[in-house]
Amino acid sequence: MPEIRVTPLGAGQDVGRSCILVSIAGKNVMLDCGMHMGFNDDRRFPDFSYITQNGRLTDFLDCVIISHFHLDHCGALPYFSEMVGYDGPIYMTHPTQAICPILLEDYRKIAVDKKGEANFFTSQMIKDCMKKVVAVHLHQTVQVDDELEIKAYYAGHVLGAAMFQIKVGSESVVYTGDYNMTPDRHLGAAWIDKCRPNLLITESTYATTIRDSKRCRERDFLKKVHETVERGGKVLIPVFALGRAQELCILLETFWERMNLKVPIYFSTGLTEKANHYYKLFITWTNQKIRKTFVQRNMFEFKHIKAFDRAFADNPGPMVVFATPGMLHAGQSLQIFRKWAGNEKNMVIMPGYCVQGTVGHKILSGQRKLEMEGRQLEVKMQVEYMSFSAHADAKGIMQLVGQAEPERVLLVHGEAKKMEFLRQKIEQEFRVSCYMPANGETVTLPTSPSIPVGISLGLLKREMAQGLLPEAKKPRLLHGTLIMKDSNFRLVSSEQALKELGLAEHQLRFTCRVHLQDARKEQETALRVYSHLKSTLKDHCVQHLPDGSVTVESILIQAAAHSEDPGTKVLLVSWTYQDEELGSFLTTLLKKGLPQAPS
Amino acid sequence: MAGPARYREPRPLLARGPQRPGLEAEVEYRKRQLPWIPRRTGLWNPCACKSYQDFHAFDLSGATRVLEWIGDKGVFVAGYESLKKNEILHLILPLRLSVKENQGLFPERDFKVRHGGFSDGSVFDLKYVPDTRLLVTSGLPGCYLRVWQFAEDSDVIKPVSTIAVHEKEGNFWPRVAVFSSVAPGVLHGARLSDLKIVDLESQKVTYSSGISDSEELSSLQVLDADIFAFCCTSGHLGIVDTRQKWAPLENTSPNLGSGEERWCAEVRGMDQGPGSCIASLGSEGQLRLLDTRDLCHPMSSVQCPVSTPSPNPELLRVSWAPGLDNCLAISGFDGTVQVYDVTSWDGMGIQVEPLFTHRGHIFLNENKMDTAPQVTTHTWHPCKPRTLLSAASDASLHVWDWVDLRASC
Repeated sequence: MPEIRVTPLGAGQDVGRSCILVSIAGKNVMLDCGMHMGFNDDRRFPDFSYITQNGRLTDFLDCVIISHFHLDHCGALPYFSEMVGYDGPIYMTHPTQAICPILLEDYRKIAVDKKGEANFFTSQMIKDCMKKVVAVHLHQTVQVDDELEIKAYYAGHVLGAAMFQIKVGSESVVYTGDYNMTPDRHLGAAWIDKCRPNLLITESTYATTIRDSKRCRERDFLKKVHETVERGGKVLIPVFALGRAQELCILLETFWERMNLKVPIYFSTGLTEKANHYYKLFITWTNQKIRKTFVQRNMFEFKHIKAFDRAFADNPGPMVVFATPGMLHAGQSLQIFRKWAGNEKNMVIMPGYCVQGTVGHKILSGQRKLEMEGRQLEVKMQVEYMSFSAHADAKGIMQLVGQAEPERVLLVHGEAKKMEFLRQKIEQEFRVSCYMPANGETVTLPTSPSIPVGISLGLLKREMAQGLLPEAKKPRLLHGTLIMKDSNFRLVSSEQALKELGLAEHQLRFTCRVHLQDARKEQETALRVYSHLKSTLKDHCVQHLPDGSVTVESILIQAAAHSEDPGTKVLLVSWTYQDEELGSFLTTLLKKGLPQAPS
Repeated sequence: MAGPARYREPRPLLARGPQRPGLEAEVEYRKRQLPWIPRRTGLWNPCACKSYQDFHAFDLSGATRVLEWIGDKGVFVAGYESLKKNEILHLILPLRLSVKENQGLFPERDFKVRHGGFSDGSVFDLKYVPDTRLLVTSGLPGCYLRVWQFAEDSDVIKPVSTIAVHEKEGNFWPRVAVFSSVAPGVLHGARLSDLKIVDLESQKVTYSSGISDSEELSSLQVLDADIFAFCCTSGHLGIVDTRQKWAPLENTSPNLGSGEERWCAEVRGMDQGPGSCIASLGSEGQLRLLDTRDLCHPMSSVQCPVSTPSPNPELLRVSWAPGLDNCLAISGFDGTVQVYDVTSWDGMGIQVEPLFTHRGHIFLNENKMDTAPQVTTHTWHPCKPRTLLSAASDASLHVWDWVDLRASC
């Protein structure tokens, strides 16, 4: 079955729930298993009935691959593995394996405790799901089974994000997940080698955007922080433990140094511990600048940034505080928020997406009166949203396609009407076909798999002897016998094949009779035939043998008298089946008769 | 696989870590890692530099010489490289630039590509035909104009037709302006003698200059339903009423100095009363203000503090601010855009200082090319009084809103 089938799962054109089924050379792989954050009901999960209506998913799928820890790529994983039912391997990188369960648990808490949802996965389910995970390293070829192998490439975007190459024999598919082609302060840029996959699957959510430069965003961030502390206000920045927080710290630290500012900046301690722990585990995943800077020290030993004590929140005067968790749904960041929300001089900067139901989401939607623990809270502090997370835009997609050199490109999560220009751009620039399936639609791509066949030396030499050097790009026709044993293919000459099989070769000879009007004796007729053929067939070896017969290459011609008619001679033309062509030609030629000229 | 696969990462700024042990060294080292965070003054210091209200920088896939508004929320840009396919893009401005209140809540800081198309030739000029879905472009080769169409339900800009133009040889390309009406007409010409108005639908010529003067044109501007203004590279200006045979109000034989100098001009919007003002900019940095009722005697003439002569006079641009009284902007000499207030300009040869200079294209030149980028074009936002867009030869596109520092004193 030389074809690759791809089906993005999920209903509607909604972005935000990644789950792609790939069928390659008989292997079925699920790429990502995301949750749609905007829905509260079953619409938030991908539609798994596409995979199989009644069979066991474990039998049908060979593996599941998760690209990174964002909930729209892994949020539905516990539901899928524990509630729908899947027991096969789940592959992801080491950082993803460490961070995924934390985010899933956070999310579960919000859904169940805050929103009171019933049919949701439990903490135990998350744990059971993670037991099925097999962690992989970058550029490590992992054998899923004896035919299917996968390999992870660095994707940037967030800590631990990877692009995966899925390979079966000579067919391969590369799935990018979310990636970023421009390095930022703590992560490098995505990179892949010229692996020339049959298909490159890439998300195209941001393909039609041209991104604001990072410096502008950083400048705006610094401006807001500075303006707030200048007027005596306090700035709260809720963050998740890793990555962005560190980046923003470096930014603030350097800015404070330049501007000689004395306003205190704090990091909540819970953050420091967790961050240090993960940092040590995943140092290779951040970029070189970070590594060189922090290689020997505690990464949060800044000059201007100190550890936070909850009592500091009541101190008068300006300050900046980084606290977890990132969506203001619980814990220290929420506590600080409640203390500072009533003062319009203060500011909270949300650095990323907030799930529905969290305080973060509410204030970002513009809500200014919140109910917390039975009491009303009026939010007078300024609310800012500053996303630093990076996705590939059109330029990034073009760069990646240029690096990988796929045969074809498939774009997911874009609206087809709005992507025609990008598709034309890719097709023109790289001369590859570009597909844009809707969710639920299957794209079938025929492939021409190359099957390697070993050729015997003898056969090869024989072919070479025929002249004409082999050319890499031109197909060359060979005759031989194909021997298939186990998964081994060999091409040998027929003789060798027969020898190996212990069979004798059959000889086939064809004989044809050509009647000629000739009254002379047989020997003379034969001589006439010889002269005629010699002069006509200049490219061939024509010989007159002592016994009177004529040979043309390996074809034998004998003249005999006709049994009944002395004026007719019968030419017996015989040849082996290998000389079929020449034999037929000679017969036709002789049937035309001999020239009248005397020999 | 031959050889180990490498994750290639960006080169660090400094090859080695901090030389001296200790926290001080670390801070020093980090300062050097982030050189763009400036010293006390400078573009990037959001505290010291109070002159920007807002500043966004973008990188296009190809440099543009065109910034043409469609409504007040979208602009067209187009590539001008000679040997490859160029892109024409319809960009929608980031949402947060359209919003006054609560800007911080709007994460949308990016341009959206709403439509895109491909042009075989370079595009030097692009005009949107108002109230239609049509565009007209001009470039090299200069023997025809292209008409394009974009649709609501697709994102592709398709070529529809071409308008043949007289120009045959060399590097001359026709300037374009559009008479928008029920039957739109395209005004075009590379020289005064070629000036024509062509009805867009029927492609019939409805007006022709009919003169033999073959002076090269640098700009054309439609002023109202029947009137247009032209400026020749020599500085020869004229206002033409198409209801009559060719009889423009013009400054004939202007004495404008060296023959090498090139000029361009822009008329301030006619809705500001009779006797509108024309600003004319020369490649030696001279800026003249003229009253349309008396083109032969400029009201004032100043020398702008720019590096002269302009390295590419075809890129010279002067534009009036639609939302401010007596403000204009110039570009085309280097990597800057300068804003001037012309209120008190009176007399000849006076020295002036710009109200504001945008240096973003120079500061942000990521590639550190040997040649600094040159601003290729700029335009004012139709509604936000102090917002401009500017594009440069390094494919950068900036949207900036400057603060009038005089207002604070």
